[in-house]
Amino acid sequence: MDVNFRKIDIDQYDEDVLLESELYEPDPRDPAQVVSDAKQKATAVRSSLAKGDIVGALTLALTDAPYGPNVDEAKNLNLQTLVSILNSTKSSEIPGVVKSLPPDSQDTLMKYLYKGMALPGWGDLSGSVLLVWHEKLTEAAGTGCIVRAMTDRRLV
Amino acid sequence: MSNTLRPYLAAVRSTLTAALTLEDFASQVVERHNKPEVEVRESKEVLLNSLTISRNENERVLVEPSINSIRLSIKIKQADEIERILCHKFTRFMMQRAESFLVLRRKPVQGYDISFLITNNHTDTMLKHKIVDFIIQFMEEVDKEISEMKLSLNARARVVAESYLGAFNS
Amino acid sequence: MAPPEIYPLAQTQAAITSHSFNADRSEVAVSLNSNDVQIFAREGHEWKPTETLSEHDKLITSIDWAPNSNRIVTAAQDRNAYVWQQSPDPQTGRMIWKPTLVLLRINRAATHVRWSPNEDKFAVASGARAIAICSFDPEGDWWVSRLLKKPIRSTVHSVDWHPNNVLLAAGSADMKARVFSAYIKDVDKRPAASVWGEKLPFNTVCGEYTSPTGGWVHAVGFSPSGDALAFASHDSSISIVYPGGPAIYTIKLTSLPLLTLTWTNENSLIAAGHDCQPLVFSGSDGGWELTGSLDDPNSAKSAGGSRAGLASPVGRLNSAAFNTFRNADTRGIGSAPGGSGESELFTVHQNTITSVRPYAGTPGAVTRVSTSGLDGKLVVWDVNQVTPVGATGLAGRMAGLRV
Repeated sequence: MDVNFRKIDIDQYDEDVLLESELYEPDPRDPAQVVSDAKQKATAVRSSLAKGDIVGALTLALTDAPYGPNVDEAKNLNLQTLVSILNSTKSSEIPGVVKSLPPDSQDTLMKYLYKGMALPGWGDLSGSVLLVWHEKLTEAAGTGCIVRAMTDRRLV
Repeated sequence: MSNTLRPYLAAVRSTLTAALTLEDFASQVVERHNKPEVEVRESKEVLLNSLTISRNENERVLVEPSINSIRLSIKIKQADEIERILCHKFTRFMMQRAESFLVLRRKPVQGYDISFLITNNHTDTMLKHKIVDFIIQFMEEVDKEISEMKLSLNARARVVAESYLGAFNS
Repeated sequence: MAPPEIYPLAQTQAAITSHSFNADRSEVAVSLNSNDVQIFAREGHEWKPTETLSEHDKLITSIDWAPNSNRIVTAAQDRNAYVWQQSPDPQTGRMIWKPTLVLLRINRAATHVRWSPNEDKFAVASGARAIAICSFDPEGDWWVSRLLKKPIRSTVHSVDWHPNNVLLAAGSADMKARVFSAYIKDVDKRPAASVWGEKLPFNTVCGEYTSPTGGWVHAVGFSPSGDALAFASHDSSISIVYPGGPAIYTIKLTSLPLLTLTWTNENSLIAAGHDCQPLVFSGSDGGWELTGSLDDPNSAKSAGGSRAGLASPVGRLNSAAFNTFRNADTRGIGSAPGGSGESELFTVHQNTITSVRPYAGTPGAVTRVSTSGLDGKLVVWDVNQVTPVGATGLAGRMAGLRV
């Protein structure tokens, strides 16, 4: 007797089921636009960093961060930009920097920190730097910030 | 405590505290069932983004939160072959006795050495910060335990070798 | 300025899933994380269990006691709801609670239930992606339901009625808070036009709101006038919606998510949740902010977590030694060096608060609220006794409750 019908996942035919893509608002920009935005930001961040303006550079990198599908290139680029900021900040300056960020940027930064930790050995990422940032950010923004990193479906 | 271990454990502690915001949630797929959603994975909207905390490539923690349960998986440091064997034996010993630990999962998540499954029943009946303390303590102890076992294993091997080879020395 | 009254109702650390007082606050119906409803009656400073209502065969999720008609409605995970009414026992003449099954027509767990302001309808939220609006049919002598289905995509967590008895707010796990019309022709008079709309046939969606960072909506609540809606979602935020505006104010918290909320007057509300303390928010259509907490963590507390004289001890055995052994038994807390202090939180509630409801005052001028939580405590708070945000010296546990 043919028993293959038992292996059919019937739940995939449930029309009421919520799909991953319905859980968040898609990015209104088109992918090419996102990549060029990320490139422009990378340049702007470099010039801010050269001036020693870490808060400005971070805010720049964290506003309108690319999210959603089809923008992997922009995501990598933005992560690269962010990592360069994180690595070039002295650990004594971190508490002041995270405190002066607006709440939205704090949430986005938390998302990037977790993303960075999920990719050990990627580029010039170092676990200890991310952990120090994580600790200081949690002190400044509380556990609420971590909860938002979990609930926000707009993955960076 | 070494200076990267402390922020690592602090990050695990704060992430776990944030993830342990569970509530009773009956299944919306199967009638009259109430299961850990993180294991069932049927309804996308009640699962949250999973978070990874890593100290380096060999030591990391994966937290998978959902509405009524979380799964926490630990990859334990294994520097060499002996540590790998010891870690395997140790976690196997624990997981075979999973009932006694309440929150321990019988099988680790792929890519990790040991997993915990904490449901809303645990957070209802036990104090939340005590569960967090337990996990943190476990992470501290397990490294210590394995390096101690390694030391005693080496010492034992030395004694055995000495007494065996001593027979040829006379 | 009375300190909070603390009543440990559950003797064995059982969670209180829901609580509801009767009209004169002399009795309270609670569910202690079980299939039964317990009714407690006040005796001085203590609550004595008087009756048990057992009919459900799965965990009871919500209870609501109608103040005027003195009826209790209960909802449970067994997909049923019962309306309980007091009637004399034919044999003994004593008043007993008689259950009536409600034909809900839902096939998943019922999660939340609320009587409408006029007490002629009630709404049952459910995991069947629907809300059942139930009204009494005198011909059939039963409660019949109509379902609000579209456009709900996931389990509904909570419902709240608009003061006009027609509009209903619902918060669900698909991250949306919605306002529906629950107009039933035979029951309701045509409602006056409000900020939410003019023509309101059944199942009209008058508004759909979401928090920018997602998260299931745990609690919804209309303001006393019904012109504003507050909802708390799992991203640790609370949002207040003014549909006339149209303005949405979202307050992101630094602490853990809120699960329940109640308005005390048009310009302030109290919300509580995983953070174990009731927070006070205030504002108007010009903006909202977190003003403080009802819990003063600095005030002295005795080892049992109870405040001088008010709380009833767990019998005569509530000594330090008894507590130590009970804790060791039920929660695995050893008598490790460091003392009992470290095993207790600085807040009155020792675990998540699941329900906050008005206790005294009129809608629009609530003076006291009651909370219950997973730690089995029922606490009555004075809403004017707010500890400002800056003064909550919860060192380290939730540093800086900044908005």
